[in-house]
Parts: sequence; C-alpha cells; structure tokens
Amino acid sequence: MTANRVDRVERLTNLLALLLESERPLTLVQITGALAGQYPDVARPRRAAFERDKAALRDIGVPIESERFDDQATYRIDRGAYELADLKLDADETRALQVAVAAVRTDTSAGRDALWKLGGASAGNDSAVSAVLPQRPELPVIRSAVANRATLVFVYRGDRRQLDPWGLLLRGGFWYVVGHDHDRDEKRTFRVDRFDGGVDAIEVGLTGTFIRPDSFDPRDAFPADPKQIGHAPTDGVLAVVRIDATRADAIEREVGSARVLQRHADGSIDVEVPASNIDAFRSWLIGLLDHASVVSPPEIRDQIIDWLTGIVEAAS
Amino acid sequence: MKGPRNAEERLSRLLVMLPWLMEQGEVPLVEVAARFDLTADQVQQDLELVAMCGLPPFVDEMIDVFVDDGLVFVGVPRLFTRPLRLTAPEGFSLLASGRAAMELPGADRSGPLGRALDKLARALMDAGVEAAGSDDTAGVAIDLSRPEATDELVDAVAAAAELTMLYYSPARDERAERVIVPRHVFVDAGNWYVVADDAKSNERRTFRIDRIDGVTPTGRVIPTNDPVAGPPGFFADAELPHATLRLAPAAQWILDRYPVGEVTPLNRPKGWIEVDVPVANERWLARLLIRLGPDVVVGSPKNAAQQASDLAARMLACY
Repeated sequence: MTANRVDRVERLTNLLALLLESERPLTLVQITGALAGQYPDVARPRRAAFERDKAALRDIGVPIESERFDDQATYRIDRGAYELADLKLDADETRALQVAVAAVRTDTSAGRDALWKLGGASAGNDSAVSAVLPQRPELPVIRSAVANRATLVFVYRGDRRQLDPWGLLLRGGFWYVVGHDHDRDEKRTFRVDRFDGGVDAIEVGLTGTFIRPDSFDPRDAFPADPKQIGHAPTDGVLAVVRIDATRADAIEREVGSARVLQRHADGSIDVEVPASNIDAFRSWLIGLLDHASVVSPPEIRDQIIDWLTGIVEAAS
Repeated sequence: MKGPRNAEERLSRLLVMLPWLMEQGEVPLVEVAARFDLTADQVQQDLELVAMCGLPPFVDEMIDVFVDDGLVFVGVPRLFTRPLRLTAPEGFSLLASGRAAMELPGADRSGPLGRALDKLARALMDAGVEAAGSDDTAGVAIDLSRPEATDELVDAVAAAAELTMLYYSPARDERAERVIVPRHVFVDAGNWYVVADDAKSNERRTFRIDRIDGVTPTGRVIPTNDPVAGPPGFFADAELPHATLRLAPAAQWILDRYPVGEVTPLNRPKGWIEVDVPVANERWLARLLIRLGPDVVVGSPKNAAQQASDLAARMLACY
C-alpha cells in the first residue's frame, strides 16, 4: 500500500480517531506508526503531509493541542473540548432556532452548520418578515473575547487601541463594539468595519482579565440616533430644521411630534434635531434634498452652506 | 453543497451526520441527503468510505455504518457519537441570527427562542468566566428599530390585504398614492423594506417603509400563489450602469452599504481606493456625491459631478 492510494478523508478520519482514542499525547513517529502506510515514508514529505492534515482538522474546529516532551512535539485532542456540550434544547427550542436561522439571511453557512450540530435542520423561510445581517470575520473573535472577558488589541484608523470589550451591537446596519479603552481610560465605541488590517490584526489577550460592569447593555451605551454620537465639545447641540410639506409627515414620524417647534400655513414644519455629530447630521439633512434647510444655529447653517457651496464650486 | 467538495468539507459534514445517524439508527438515504444538503450518491460514497476507517485492531469496526437498498443503517456507536463543538463563527452566527429574530415584529420574547438563546449563551461562555450581573445579551445586542407602519405591513402580508399608501419616491422626488399588496417585509443595512405587488406597474416592487405615509386598507384580499421567501437578492445587477468613484478612507463605509465591484487601492492619495458602484438612478448618485463631499472624486460618468453640483445649487437656494 502506498501513501497516495489513501483517500484524504480516510486519512483525516483515522488521524482524528487516533488522537481522540489515545490516552496520552503522541509523537509524529507514533502517529505515522499507528497509521501505517497512510503517510509518506520519507521524513520530510511525511512531516509536511501531517502538518497539512493538522491544519485541516484545526480549520474545521478540532482542538488539537501540541506540547513538547523531552524535546519532542506531541499531539492530543481533549475529548471534552472536542465534543459539543449538550445544550439540552427542548424540541420547540430547536425549532425556534431553525425558524430564526431561516428568517435571518447572512452571507455564511455558519448558522446552518451550527443548527446541524445541535440536531436541527435547515428550514425554508415562510414567515412574513426577515432580516439581512451584515457579517464580518472580526465578529466571532470579538464575541468570544466578550464572553471570555479577554482584552483586545487592535488598530483603529491608524491608532493602536487596547479595549476590554463589553459587548457587540448592531445598529443602523453597522456593527459596533463597546468597551473600556485602556489608554483613554473611559468607555468607547468602535465601528467594527473600521478596524485596520482585518481579523488577523486583532490580538486577543488572556481569558478572565476584566470584569464587565453589572447590567451593562450595549444598546444603552450610545445614543440610538447617530446624529447624537458625541464629539465632546459640541455635546447636546440641537439644530432647528425647516421641512417642507412633501416630507413633513415622514420627518414628524421619524423625530416625534414633541420635536415639532412650529407648523406653518404652507404645510412645512420646523423641527428640532440633535446635531452633536455634525457628519451624521449633514448626511441626514442631505438625504432630504431641497425639502429641508437649517434655520439655526447660525454656525451649523453656515457649515451646511459652505459644504454645498464646495460641491457647486468643485464642478465649475 | 452539491458540487465538488474538498476533504475538509466532506469530513466536517460526516462529523455532524454520524452522530445524527446514530440517534436515528435507520434512515432512508434520500432523507439524509436532503437534510445535509448533499446528493444521495455523495452520502453513500462518504459513508462507505468512513465505514472502512478505524485503528488497529478495530479497523472496519469503529464506525459501524452501511447503506443497503436505499436505507442507511448504523450499528453500535463507538466513535463520533457527539458532534464537534461549535466553532466561533458558528456560535456567533447562531446567536446573532437568534437575537435578530427576537427583534423582528411579532417575536415572542418569552417563548422558546428566548429560552434556546439563554441556553446557547451559557454554552458559549468559557468555563470559569462568571457572568457579571444579568447578561441578557451574551455580548451580542441587535437593534432593528422600525418605522411605525412596519407592523401594519407585516399583518397585511399575513392577511394578503390590499392597501393604499402615500409613497415618497426619491427617484422622482414626489409623493404619490399607490395601491399595493404587501408580500414580505425585511430589514437590510438599517432600513426596512416591503416587497409588494404594485397595482400601478403591475409588478412586484420593493419600497422603503420610512418613505411611506398613511397606510389604509382597501378591504380587498388578494392571495398570491407566488409567495416571497425572503429578501430579494440585492437589486444590483450587471444591467445597471456603473459609476467609478475614488474614495478617501472616511468615505469607504459605502463598501459595506452598496454592492460595489472590485476595490483597487490607489497609491496616491494614500489610503484612497477606487471602486465601481452600480447606479440605480442618477439622482441617487448625485445625493451620494453631495454626502461624501471632498472625500470622493468621480472617475465616471463624466456628467455626475455636474449633476451633483446642480442638485447642491437647488439645495442652496433654500437658504
């Protein structure tokens, strides 16, 4: 029997079985001895083939541990870490997860794979309502760090940050991580899609290195309205905006009747809206095209006029 | 997964299939295939392969499974009796999907989904880490706040009820009455939409719910034999014209919002990129350009900057 006759799936299955069944850590020599004929005979290709298999198993989530004994690398799988803990889901709970996964579209199959492991099946979506969730490779890493109370180190818009992550929040279509920023020594919020360098650039610290405040809920960590996300010097700034009749109903519904300061005879209204975050405020205002204009304060009115003038001049 | 599969995919599918089969004992091959999104041939091939796996002296005996006459039989379970633990992406995805479903209209927060998520969250905590206080989000919170009309539209989907609405169309920049029968409601990138049969165009259209004023049932019920199973794939297709934009870092959030084409990093200015963006209508592009201001430079179409300038001039006229 020559090595390349063995199907890769067969060799991987045998390697997995061997490491799961073994009572003690095994060296490469012991492994290839037990799986005689399945790995190349020559040392260097044998090592390369084994490394490939080890990486493949780790890739699908098998926790292979390696340790050095007497200057030799040994390998083992802790069965307790390998096996899925029994969640003790009742049948209606498994069904509820199936319905949830069917009603929420992501661009990965991870939710479906998880359902299979929990004994569920994938189902068609026959509900009247569904959601599309943006996915980013950073999210599972950050979520594990939140659950394990592990500090994260990452680069955000060019700055190195050290953060005790307290929670993830999806709001307005973007994912945020909220936590305690070591260097600023205060609570900060970061948008996950603005991390530099992708998932590989995130360093995860040791488990259990911080305590999360009691009853922390990321939903309360920053204002629901992005126009309010604070840049300290202008905290609490409000702008008065006139909305014409075409969009008045929609904007009154959006900001609430309590924020309507005045109703004009032509159907237009003056509303008061937060403008602490001038970028978000401007973006919101521009979405209303020529159905809205800033009444006050003069600084914000001038900023908008300057912005629009810049666009007009850039094209001429 | 019905195309060619690599060894990792085949093994990970086997590792979830085997424990399930061991619980069932005896299952029709086609049922296994349907459940695990494979063809019957693929299931048979992989099960026959794995039946030959094992270690001396138990080769051939460790995984006691065989296929006969369209039925899968599993004998005494020895190995792979439990599925592999959830990977970090699997745990995250399930938790996030569950939390999102809890935020959808009509979700029952105290029902089985809530209980399942509590159990899942506990399992995903590392042993030895004590949850601080009441951790009702398990680190993942989802805010899908919705416009007021949303719940009424969801009810209309269930009832196949025809409605009249006042709809503001940004493409035409006008508000007009339309008659629709809602077929599905979904949220994407923070915005809520209703997919509906539109009487005026006699087509299925997608409307943004925050642009809907005043919904009134007409009293007619119009069932469909063509239900909508989920959000439409993003409206971007090859037929739409494209704009080429150069974006400063501060403008690159649009990559997450729109189905952009290939991204090319630029050498200068540092950090800028060039992307192709599908353009459903010119007014949308003009508004995007005004939003991005100095953080965008248009490569093409050539007239886009002028259209943005015209629109900005109209907005300036309000001052």
